[in-house]
Amino acid sequence: MRLPTPDAERRHTAVLAAVVLLQAVAVLFFVGDAASDILHDGLGPETLFEGFIAFALSSGVAAGGWQLRRALETQRAQARALEVARGALAEVIEAQFSRWGLTPAERDVALFALKGLDVAEIAELRSAAAGTVRAQMARVYAKSGVSGRAQFAALFVEDLLG
Amino acid sequence: MPGPLDRMKAGLAARPAGGSVSPATGLALPPVWDPLIRLTHWSVAVAVLANGLFTKAGGALHVGLGWAVLALLVLRFGWGLLGPIEARFSAFPPAPRAALAHLHGLARRHPVREHPSHNPAGAMMVYALWGGLLVICLTGLWLTDARSPMQIAADQAAVLSGDWSALAQTAAAGETGASGEIKKAVKTVHELMANLILIFAAEHVAGVAVESRALGRNLVRPMLWQRRTKRGPEA
Repeated sequence: MRLPTPDAERRHTAVLAAVVLLQAVAVLFFVGDAASDILHDGLGPETLFEGFIAFALSSGVAAGGWQLRRALETQRAQARALEVARGALAEVIEAQFSRWGLTPAERDVALFALKGLDVAEIAELRSAAAGTVRAQMARVYAKSGVSGRAQFAALFVEDLLG
Repeated sequence: MPGPLDRMKAGLAARPAGGSVSPATGLALPPVWDPLIRLTHWSVAVAVLANGLFTKAGGALHVGLGWAVLALLVLRFGWGLLGPIEARFSAFPPAPRAALAHLHGLARRHPVREHPSHNPAGAMMVYALWGGLLVICLTGLWLTDARSPMQIAADQAAVLSGDWSALAQTAAAGETGASGEIKKAVKTVHELMANLILIFAAEHVAGVAVESRALGRNLVRPMLWQRRTKRGPEA
C-alpha cells in the first residue's frame, strides 16, 4: 500500500515540456515563413494576422515554460518535504525503540510490523519461523505497553499528527 | 509492478545490519535533468546525426531539421536564463581553467566530486557544442538565402512537376563572381563545423563514459528517465 506516487506529476511535466518544445519549433517555422513573405511581397493585410499568430504562439511557449518551471519547483519542494518527514519519523521511531530497550531482532520485526507486513511476510524476510516472529512481536508489544499491532502503529501516527 | 514485500526486500538488502531504522537514502543523488532539457538534448542529437549522416544537403528535410535545431537552441538559451537552477547558465559558467583542472584530476584518478549541474569540463563541452551548432545553423541560413523549409519543399515540388524556373533562379543567385566566392567559403565553414560537431559529440559521449566511471554512477540515466534505481524501498 502506498500513497499516490508522483508519477502522474512527472508525466504532466514531460507532456508540458514536449508541447513547449513543439511550439517553439512551430514559432520559428511560422515566423521565418512570414518574414520571407513580407520580404517578398511587402507588408499586406495578412501581415497583421501573421503577427497575431506569431504573438499567440510565442505567448504559448512563454506561458508553457513558466508553468513547467513552477511545476518542477513544486515537485522538488514536495520531494524535499517528504524526505525531511521521512528522516524525522525514522529518528522518532529509532529513539522510541531505544527507550523501550528493543533488541536488534525486535527492532527489525517492529519496523516491519509498522510498515504493515504480516507475520508470515516478516518471517520470510527474516528467514525465521512464524512462531519466533510472533513471540518477538509479543515482546515488542509488552515492552511498549500496548495491546496489539493497531495500537502499536497508532503510537507513531499520534506523534506525527501532534 | 513490485509488491510491498519485494520493495521491502530491496530495502533490506540496502540497509546496514543491526536493526537501524533510517531509510536507506544515503547521500542524496542529484536530481535528474528536467524534461525540457532531456527532450531538447535528444531532439538535437537525433537532428544532428540525421543531418550529418543521412539527409540530402540543401533539401527540405535537411533545412527543416536545421531550423528545428535553431529553435531548440533558442528555447534552451531562454531556459538557461529562466529555467530551474541547474538548467541556468549561472550553474555552469564557462571556466576553462576549472575544466582543465577537472580533466587533470580525472587523468590522475583523483576522486571526483558531484556537481549540481555540469562538471567544469562538461560545461565547456556544452558551450562548444552550442557554439558549433549556432555556426552551422547561421551558415546554413546564409547558404539557403534564409528560405524556409516550406519554400524549399515547394520549389522542389515545382521542379519535380516540370517547372524548372525555380532551379534557374537559385542557380542565378549564387555561383558567380565575388558573392560566389563568399558562398563557397561559407559552405566550407558549414561543412567543416558539421564534421567538428560530430567529433565533439563523440568526445562528449566519451567524456560521459569516463566521468560515469569516476563517479561510480551512470550519468546517462539522469538524461533518460526519472526513476532513481540506487534508492532503497521508496526508489
